Amino acid sequence: MSPETKKINIPLNRAEGDLEIKVDVTDGIITDAWSCGTMYRGFEAMMTGRGPLDGLVITPRICGICSLTHLNAAAVALDRIAQVTLPDNAIRLRNVALMAETIQSDLRQAVLMYMADFTNHKAYHRHVLFKEAVARYQILAGSSVVEVIRKTKRLIEIIAIIGGQWPHTSFMVPGGVTSIPYVPKLMQCRLIFDRFLAWYEKKVLGCSIARWQAVTTKKELAQWLEERPEHRDSEVGFFVRFAQKAGLDFCGRGDDHFLCFGNFPLPKETAVTPRVPGAGLLTTPGFARGTDCRALDAANIKEDSTCSWFEQKPAASHPYDSITRPYASGNMGKPYSWVKAPRYDGLAAETGPLAEAVMDRVPLFQDLIKETGATALVRQLARITRPARLLPDMGTWIDELLAHHADPFYTPVKTIPDGQGAGMIQAARGALGHWVTIENSKISNYQVITPTAWNGSPRDGQMQPGPWETALKGTRVKDLQNPVEAGHVIRSFDPCMVCAVHIVKNEK
Amino acid sequence: MKTVYWLQGGGCGGDTYSLLSSDFLDVSTLFTTLDLKLLWHPSLSGIDSATHNRLLTDIASGTTPLDILMVEGSVIFGPAGTGMFDTFRGRAKKELCHTLAGRARYVVAVGTCASFGGFGTDHETEATGLQFKKDKKGGALGKDFVSGSGMPVINLAGCPCHHDVIAGALMAVAGGIPLELDRFQRPIEWYNTMVHQGCTRNEYHEYRVEESDFGEMGCLFFHMGCAGPLVPGPCNKLLWNRHSSKPRAGVPCFGCTSPDFPKSNQFFHTPNIEGIPLDLPKGVNRAHYMVYKGMAAEAAPERLKKRSAKV
Repeated sequence: MSPETKKINIPLNRAEGDLEIKVDVTDGIITDAWSCGTMYRGFEAMMTGRGPLDGLVITPRICGICSLTHLNAAAVALDRIAQVTLPDNAIRLRNVALMAETIQSDLRQAVLMYMADFTNHKAYHRHVLFKEAVARYQILAGSSVVEVIRKTKRLIEIIAIIGGQWPHTSFMVPGGVTSIPYVPKLMQCRLIFDRFLAWYEKKVLGCSIARWQAVTTKKELAQWLEERPEHRDSEVGFFVRFAQKAGLDFCGRGDDHFLCFGNFPLPKETAVTPRVPGAGLLTTPGFARGTDCRALDAANIKEDSTCSWFEQKPAASHPYDSITRPYASGNMGKPYSWVKAPRYDGLAAETGPLAEAVMDRVPLFQDLIKETGATALVRQLARITRPARLLPDMGTWIDELLAHHADPFYTPVKTIPDGQGAGMIQAARGALGHWVTIENSKISNYQVITPTAWNGSPRDGQMQPGPWETALKGTRVKDLQNPVEAGHVIRSFDPCMVCAVHIVKNEK
Repeated sequence: MKTVYWLQGGGCGGDTYSLLSSDFLDVSTLFTTLDLKLLWHPSLSGIDSATHNRLLTDIASGTTPLDILMVEGSVIFGPAGTGMFDTFRGRAKKELCHTLAGRARYVVAVGTCASFGGFGTDHETEATGLQFKKDKKGGALGKDFVSGSGMPVINLAGCPCHHDVIAGALMAVAGGIPLELDRFQRPIEWYNTMVHQGCTRNEYHEYRVEESDFGEMGCLFFHMGCAGPLVPGPCNKLLWNRHSSKPRAGVPCFGCTSPDFPKSNQFFHTPNIEGIPLDLPKGVNRAHYMVYKGMAAEAAPERLKKRSAKV
């Protein structure tokens, strides 16, 4: 008798929006997967015909957790169109705020969204670390949960000091920033930063950032775990121990194509050095197969809507040329998602903190990719340790702001000329692009491709699955009623469906 | 113990992330302190989908009482009234919204999208608020809707809604403390003063020392599109994330508590006649205002004209 294939639907919450996964399971192993964004919001359609600066107000509202990164992408696109050079202080202020947003997102995702699944009683009550997992990660009650809520809330105060509020401020504008924080405000930022850093080292890493950065291989990671109880009991240490026992180091294998747009432009005068020399950005743009990193060529980015509920175009197109209209055809035929399928040079590519670490040649992650390839464990490890890679430079920029506080924060931009500009940056979840066209002093075209569109894309015209559809294949699901393993795989990409599901604009 | 169900529709999750900054009480202790059981929140809950399905069946049948329904995001009706742009397990989510609202003792719209439709009201998504579509009463639940308590939908406007307002409103409905609502059903405790009130740029406003480009240090009302004197909200009274507000950081108020947010005219620009804004502070007479502002500008002290006062 041939093995029976069962089709199951897995609605996934804690995914910032609506996501349903359909999988085929044969003998307890996922053999095929379809990722379905179940909501269409049509943000780009709202942009057409509006004032040139309106993207600064509207696009942050695409997403409540990465609202600043949308603002940043919108502002960068306009900087390009206006061909304006930003003063150093504006660059520093934007970078500091963006880093704060990215860091809060990484920690909230890890502890509130990801590790919460370790408290799944049905799946893990026999896991040797289950009781401790519950004590740490119980929804709204675990000790780590309570700490992360309190500490990230404090970190976000830096964004409020710089930009007025979080989420949904618009303090980045073409030419720089609107706010000129005076010395006491910047000193407050420094104080908040210092306290956060001390907590991150003590509780999340269990060691100094310098010690963590000395972990450069899979073998050294094992040694680090053994070295001290503080390492084992930290969030990172506990995560690795639980995840290894749960088999997360073997599940969620992707095809190891990584995409990054790079981020954090360097001021002309700064002590911060780029991860890889030459780019003028702190983190590196590029595309990699395994650890073979290549320069980014934006012309290679195309969107395909074969399997999305949109009117079909004969071929995949660059975002400047995309023409898309929602076309709900129900469950008949190929389409199954409100997310389109962006491809790089025709390939599905994953993006996020792991892709960033690979592109930045972080030794530990280059080694892990060579040893195991991208897995759920490796992706999550890259995410929860990313703050260790950002915090030192964030502190340097706060100090530089204090030292240069009397210098300009804004270069006047009288009017936004007609033209095209792209804001391609690295958001918390990965590569984010805004492609903007201004005609007759109005927005004539606004196209957004979000990180989750890359990671959670459906199949394309070649029937090539999206990254997390690929990563689901081969995953063992022990209990079809409680498919927690599929959740581990999808969540390792940090899905943000509110962002992904409106990747469309109206035809003019 | 009272129960809370948090439904997300067409939204960005921003109100949830605002609530995570609640200082009134941490989110972790807010619900327990108020003796509330959070049955479901899309970003915070841990129950599996089968348990969630049973919960929805039990609420719909009345077996599990629902005291407070919090709705974040708009109710999506597109395309063509079907609601299929936002589905929940294959069905339009608006149907779930109706079912739950019909069972709840209190229905609270969290944020401008849930209150008035917000983003997508004029577009193919056919977004609407729970009991309003922009300033027109009706919305998804209809103009005559009242929840089990006899109250209409309580609109916590704002994009996002201020964290302390969400926490405060929860406390009020959980404790049965009556909330008086304005004509757009916003509780007057938080929505009876203008955003302008408490702004650190008020002295610049008073003497009409204006900003005409970013970072000039002046009032943002006359040229930069600030709606602070036009719309109600507690931004400069309660402050955001314990520290600030957009106007304090040089970002004009975009009027996000207003039923017509987002307006179709461009942001960062004040439509005006001879330098006086078309929209004047709520309730002000144009002739009087022009005389007053002319004199105020004449009376402006040097230190403000030099823009030396930091905000």
